[in-house]
Amino acid sequence: MKISLKSRLISALAVTAIAGTVLVGAPSAANAAPVCATANFVTQCGGVGADGAPYAFIAAANFNGTVFLWSHGVRPSIDIPATLAPVGPYTKTNAAEPGPGASSGDFSIINKLVAAGYGVAGSGFARQGINTTEALAANKELIATFKTKYPTTKTVIAWGASLGAMNAQRLAESNPELVDGVILGCPAANPQDALVAYFGDALFGFKALFDPTIKVGGYSTDPVIRQQEQHANIGKILLVLSKLSAGLTSGVWPDTASPAGKALQAAGIPSRSALLTVGLMAGVSTRSKNVDGTSGPAGAAETYPLAIAPAVAVLQNMGATLNYGTLLIADGELLAGGKVFDNTKTDYAARVAADADIFSFALSGNSAVAGIIGALAATPRETADPAAVAKISGLVGLSGKITKPTLIFQAESEEFVPASIVQWYIDTYAAQFAGEKMKAMADAKKSRAYVAPKNNLVVLWAKTAAKYSKFTAAGTPDLTAKPGAGTGHCLFTPAQWLAAADLMVATLKYDKFPLGGGIASTARKVGLSYDNKFSVPLFKSLQ
Amino acid sequence: MTRINRRKLISASAVLAVAALAVSAVPAQAFNPRAKEVGVTATTIKLGITSPLTGIAAPGYSKIPGAMKAYFDYVNANGGVNGRKITLVSKDDQYIPATAVAKANELILRDKVFALVGTLGTASTKALTAATQLSKRGIPSLFVNTGWSGFADKKAYPTTFAILPSYQMEAKIISKYLKDTYPGKKLALIYQDDDFGRDALAGFKTGGITFDTLIPYASGSQSLPATGAGWITKLKAASPDVTVMFGVSSATTALLGNAFAGGYVGKTQFILGSVGGDATTIAATNRGLVGLLNGAKGLSFAPAPSDSSDEYIKLFQTIYAAALPKEIFDNNVVAGMSNAFLAVQAIKAAGPKLTRKGLMNVIETKGATLANPFLTPLGYSTTSHVGATGYWFGTYGPTGALTADGGKYTVYTTDSGSGAVVESTYKRPAMPAKGLPN
Repeated sequence: MKISLKSRLISALAVTAIAGTVLVGAPSAANAAPVCATANFVTQCGGVGADGAPYAFIAAANFNGTVFLWSHGVRPSIDIPATLAPVGPYTKTNAAEPGPGASSGDFSIINKLVAAGYGVAGSGFARQGINTTEALAANKELIATFKTKYPTTKTVIAWGASLGAMNAQRLAESNPELVDGVILGCPAANPQDALVAYFGDALFGFKALFDPTIKVGGYSTDPVIRQQEQHANIGKILLVLSKLSAGLTSGVWPDTASPAGKALQAAGIPSRSALLTVGLMAGVSTRSKNVDGTSGPAGAAETYPLAIAPAVAVLQNMGATLNYGTLLIADGELLAGGKVFDNTKTDYAARVAADADIFSFALSGNSAVAGIIGALAATPRETADPAAVAKISGLVGLSGKITKPTLIFQAESEEFVPASIVQWYIDTYAAQFAGEKMKAMADAKKSRAYVAPKNNLVVLWAKTAAKYSKFTAAGTPDLTAKPGAGTGHCLFTPAQWLAAADLMVATLKYDKFPLGGGIASTARKVGLSYDNKFSVPLFKSLQ
Repeated sequence: MTRINRRKLISASAVLAVAALAVSAVPAQAFNPRAKEVGVTATTIKLGITSPLTGIAAPGYSKIPGAMKAYFDYVNANGGVNGRKITLVSKDDQYIPATAVAKANELILRDKVFALVGTLGTASTKALTAATQLSKRGIPSLFVNTGWSGFADKKAYPTTFAILPSYQMEAKIISKYLKDTYPGKKLALIYQDDDFGRDALAGFKTGGITFDTLIPYASGSQSLPATGAGWITKLKAASPDVTVMFGVSSATTALLGNAFAGGYVGKTQFILGSVGGDATTIAATNRGLVGLLNGAKGLSFAPAPSDSSDEYIKLFQTIYAAALPKEIFDNNVVAGMSNAFLAVQAIKAAGPKLTRKGLMNVIETKGATLANPFLTPLGYSTTSHVGATGYWFGTYGPTGALTADGGKYTVYTTDSGSGAVVESTYKRPAMPAKGLPN
């Protein structure tokens, strides 16, 4: 492939124009025409949507008719003070985000896409937290705005990360005519309220065992008080986590433990076993950014992975799980008008039964597990408002139906948006595809010409390596080390995002996904894995 | 025109990496019935095992894959099975469930084995079965080396087949032995506090045995010095006449070591469960402890490794001596070779058109009649995936060898439910000529 000097020049200038620059100022009036500025062949536009959501889009002079519409991930709907570090400081923002990396100042993905002739666009959305309604409206409006500015637009690829992936999929489900392809990175979804249950179960376990004043739900309807309650909850969670961390090896419990928790401590059950039990009953991954679950420090290479590591991994994953759980459950209650988490019928013993053997040493044996599960009974279960549950299901529910080429990529050991969601997508689409195949066969009987249905889903996995833990001289996991592949939350590299973009462009160009071997080769080059038989367990609440 | 060309060039560069890829990929989880069976060619069958080759459980169990390979090589050298030669891919999981999951994934996804065979340990086997979703994928997990009764449950584990008698059966048979041999004596039980031990407790309850002292321990905690020391303290306080150790051999090592250190040798009659009396494992920690096995009671369902009068043992000894002349022939070798032998018989019975589904079907329908070295009937059926179904009792000697009491194998058989424990009348069929499948 030989690229002309002129085209190379444009590419270079485009990159120079975007990198390190601030997007053009948006007009203050809602629904006004975007304000655009062009420099070095690159046009950047900013504006405000009908509901006040800021947006931005960028395209170069060589715009090729394809635009990537980005939906950003979750941002808290409340300010969080610095005193709640590392969750805070955070100031609520609706800033427009036109592509992955932009919010952290990394424009490398956007640069490369624009230089290659693609447009990029993204809204900041009028509301943060659970913003599916606002995101859908903003995305639809932004597509129209972009097309007005660039009438040659032929292809729209919706993409997003985490909650943004939910919003991208929601757009494709509700308005398939607006979208040609979909890319979902570490997607959030709430099939049959499983994600609500995941957060709620973890919070309930912490309340029941480690601090009875932790809230699971039932936040005030007063916005000021509700925010105070969320801040207080985050503070308590951080405190309990630090105390659990201090007691990992000794087994000492937090002094905030519930009476039931203190009774377990008196019975000689270490706090790490209770922590792991809570993680398992919620479905939190037992592998984390710095804990592979198979390695141990010198002198404890065999006992550490069996006795300690699973609890340490859960602890590392639990911070994000509990804090986002607090923020999202509170926000969900606000939107739904009542309590959304219900565990009155949850059988926690059944939840951990299959895992009890696997993590026996870390759980301190079956008798300890029975004691821990039994201790949950001292805490009243959470009862949801059925109307609120119905409403939240409508707000954040997806059908999982896939009608456009869709590429998902996901870490096997996700920090707090479980890989189970991707398995739900896979299973849902497998059923859909089987139905399409049956229909095609039935149609073939009439027409005598079989037209095979087209596959519209490819999943790329960031698999978790068998070993990646590093240990300090003190024999504890080095939490400052580079996270292991296939762990953390949405820790995808620019190369991985660009590979996904390239793959989707090629798919749309040829109207079908490339051969499996080609996908696998593309994935492998960026540290991902394509294996259409790989699967992970479903949510605990759906098993 | 220039602009158009430039656009084309830039656009093309963006998709260069994938532009040459033409035909559509298959959807996730799609099944193609016309595809060739994974791990099988016209001339080969690839099987996989994950087991502890290093780590705390390695000293005895690490011999199992080598023993399996020795028998497969023997079969291969004599024409294979239905014209196919068997390759065994062996992985080291260190007896850590999370590692077993990773290794099983390697076997399935990277090595693309036809079936797993002989995976070892209840926790590891449960973990890898769940995480890799063997059932959903339809991958056979043949003759798992664990006696947890759950693996015999076809509904829960439709592609997994046990080979050991269940721990419930074992506990029921020990119960009868306790009643017959030690009536009215004070009894203690040390047991692993997981599904292994849960099976034992259920079996002892069904068998009508109530222990005066129960000492549970979490699997793996036997490696901590305080664990074994605690057992001896409790035993000293309870003074049982008979102590049953229903744990793995590393736990027996801890028991014997602490009994010696605590001056408790000879103070109680030890009965060791079938997986707890491996002298190889005990010797790896402290060879001097092996002698402390002397006089302990134990049980097995296979012929004793030293019993050269048994045609299977004689054949296995010959094969193993040729393959690994420096290694000691012990009960781990018998377990591995028996495992491989039964796998070969099942594959042969599945016929030349070998499929995963066909293999599992033949074990369910013909498995109970397949030739094998065991001294008890096999229980495979369309409703159960249980393997062997009984035990004989013996006494450990000073070298750690288990010898049948009374100079002959008196085998007791039962089920995992409420069925009675009865003396078996089973007559093992003669071994196929030269122990070969064809």
